[in-house]
Amino acid sequence: MAKSELCRGLEQGKVRITWMLDNEPMAGSQRRGAGGSEVSNLTLPQFNRTQARLWCWVEWNGTKQRVGVAEIRAGYPPAKPFNLSCILNLSDYALTCQWEPGADSHLPTSVALKFARSRALVETGCTPQGGHNRCTVPRQLLQLYRQMELWVSATNALGTAESEHLCIDPMDVAQLDPPALQSIQSIPFQSDCVTVAWEVARSHAHMELLCELRYRAPEDAAWALVTGIPGQARTAQHCGFLFGTPYRFQMRCRRSSAQGYWSDWSPGRNYTTHE
Amino acid sequence: APLAELSGDQDFQLFLHKNLEFTRKIKGDVAALQRVVCDTFQLCQEEELLLVRQDLGIAQAPLEQCHSRSFHAEACFSQIRSGLRVYQGSLAAVRELLPSHAALVETLQLDAANLSSNIQQQVEDLGLATVTLPAEDRDPLPAFSSRFHHQVGGFFILANFQRFLETAYRALRHLAR
Repeated sequence: MAKSELCRGLEQGKVRITWMLDNEPMAGSQRRGAGGSEVSNLTLPQFNRTQARLWCWVEWNGTKQRVGVAEIRAGYPPAKPFNLSCILNLSDYALTCQWEPGADSHLPTSVALKFARSRALVETGCTPQGGHNRCTVPRQLLQLYRQMELWVSATNALGTAESEHLCIDPMDVAQLDPPALQSIQSIPFQSDCVTVAWEVARSHAHMELLCELRYRAPEDAAWALVTGIPGQARTAQHCGFLFGTPYRFQMRCRRSSAQGYWSDWSPGRNYTTHE
Repeated sequence: APLAELSGDQDFQLFLHKNLEFTRKIKGDVAALQRVVCDTFQLCQEEELLLVRQDLGIAQAPLEQCHSRSFHAEACFSQIRSGLRVYQGSLAAVRELLPSHAALVETLQLDAANLSSNIQQQVEDLGLATVTLPAEDRDPLPAFSSRFHHQVGGFFILANFQRFLETAYRALRHLAR
């Protein structure tokens, strides 16, 4: 039901109130109310829009005047956000999380990434800007090397929905920089073996890393993969190469203690084994 | 349960492993700041500054419970926690000294606070006796009588913190499998 106050200067004449839903005339009843007011009643039987304006008009001096408006919004409670994942940027130790918002509720919905450190109160980590489904928790709010609980909370006029809660140590989802291959050399008297040397990014020097080396010759269909290489070793030997053959090498690493993300593959490096 | 029994506890080992890495990270950042102080003020060798140090009264956080001879794990954890609190405060003097490296110093302070609360929460999880630190027991920042004394003060705050971390690291490693 909509209600509009009469304006001064209309009392003398007979007032005729009409309604329009955006630009569509709406039928409404009209009767005299208490204290000389005019009451108009209107029912919107099938409101099949998510947004509209209900205008109140009166006739005055032979013209139709807009004297009031009601904003109408229609929609659903917020959908449950899902697919929450986070990644820690090691250059500023900020944690960026992203998620899927779920179906549009058609209503103004406020979204925030919430978190709780162990046994601590719930805090807001960040709020997405510009309609994005991701945001970044600054280092100051994080607890490194300790489990934190993170989730997305969406709230509109019809309710609140929460995503699954993610329990992570931010360090476990660190995005590592790729290692840099420094040199590849044959081993004297073992022409099918090479020694590979690499450097990890300086900001990762304190971490225990697990790395993978891949290589292939031009005619090879697929890469050969060497796994389980301790990152801090800085060098590794591997055999089984054909002699006098050009190979391309790449390496990547991740934190050994966790199920974290692999770094990108390092830039490639070519080496031809000895005859 | 006494800490010795817990050293086989998987959660405790994970805690130790993670916070050994965390300590290495902090040590690396302190070393980076020590290089900055050396490059910026030519203050690189401790032996050259022993005389001036006597005038400055830079406190060192006690860690005797963490030394091998008198190792007492729970007391050691408490000393590590309060020491981290002391250095978190003292680093403010370093931040004043190196404004262009304020971000690194602030990261260091955050990390020290995180490591301290990681230890506290782990000790609580294990049901060990915890020492509740007074809210603000940080020693007041030393007042330096000259800019040179401030530089030397910054040098020793970092040198002491590096030594402190080295001892703390050895203690954690002693408990880790």
